[in-house]
Amino acid sequence: MYNDKESQKIVDIIQNYARKHSLFILAYGTGCGAIEIPPTMTSRYDAERFGIRGSATPRQADVLLITGYLATKSLKRVIKVYEQMQDPKYVIGFGSCTINGGMYWDSYNTINVLDKYLPVDVYINGCMPRPEAVIAGFVKLQKLIQQGKADGWDIYKKNIDEYKANQKKIITNWVMPDFNF
Amino acid sequence: MSENILSKEQLLLDLLKKKFIINESSIKRAKRVEVKVDPKEIIPVLLYAKENSRYISFAHMSCVDWIEDGEFEVVYILWNPEDKINFFVKTRVSRDNGVLPNIDFIWRQANTYEREIREMFGIQFEGLIGRQEFILEDWEHMPPMRRDFDTAEFVKKTYFNRPGREDAKDVREFVQERTDEELPDFAKKYSRD
Repeated sequence: MYNDKESQKIVDIIQNYARKHSLFILAYGTGCGAIEIPPTMTSRYDAERFGIRGSATPRQADVLLITGYLATKSLKRVIKVYEQMQDPKYVIGFGSCTINGGMYWDSYNTINVLDKYLPVDVYINGCMPRPEAVIAGFVKLQKLIQQGKADGWDIYKKNIDEYKANQKKIITNWVMPDFNF
Repeated sequence: MSENILSKEQLLLDLLKKKFIINESSIKRAKRVEVKVDPKEIIPVLLYAKENSRYISFAHMSCVDWIEDGEFEVVYILWNPEDKINFFVKTRVSRDNGVLPNIDFIWRQANTYEREIREMFGIQFEGLIGRQEFILEDWEHMPPMRRDFDTAEFVKKTYFNRPGREDAKDVREFVQERTDEELPDFAKKYSRD
């Protein structure tokens, strides 16, 4: 009775509605884009009216923002952080560096395409994206959550071998435990 | 007034020339003195500048890769806060297995610069204490700031590239197209095409 498709749909709608209005983003900044987060959070743009606010630890966070270029050294930390986060979790690629490398496309130490290493739900274009663009990205993410399409965490689980192969290609000295569910 | 300021710079050069073997020296402009010395003269010159001429502040230390001459040029920049004069000490070592004296007993912060230069260029410093790994992590290729390290090739090999950026060009070629300037010969040798 409770497991039939129709009632599951209703549960999903309520769940997604709750999720989309309480997005806790992890206070972790890579690259230069983290400087756009304080104005987004504070009184000028006030992201909390969308239910977006910061959280201190990965365990409490829903959203991981990759703000700008990602060095291979910090990719190791980002993977560690992402795997600590609880489901459902979302990744936002922030700035052109995460999309195609941006101005660091030929740097020896920064990755170019983020979605080969982590499942990205929303990309925000710009170098740097202004707080309006950041909020637009969050609104887009909320729409995807409501429709049930922001399932990057599920894709990560399903394609874990592919993601791990890509990650280990760069991080030669892999000292972390492997992801387990 | 300007004569007075210039004389202080000239004074430093005269004193140094009397005591040490200076290969080349010049006053670039007011408040900017430059000398070129051999590696073995580095410690005496720096110590003299610090103790006797009040160049007490160690502002910076950097490295230039002169691949055409097969040499690295290491630049020590000192600062005299009383006379407000910058003092540049330059020295050259061989590109392959060059060794320089360690100066972190004069200024402790030089240790950080030396470790960075060791990692990024591969110059060794005598008796330098500090972990071999500084900024890079698990790096097993050529030191990346050397000019013969081809970053574009390395990136192509190591990272993924999103389609649509194949037309990204070398800056030098882009400037050449715009301004009709000839590329110098040494630049052509390291050109990407």
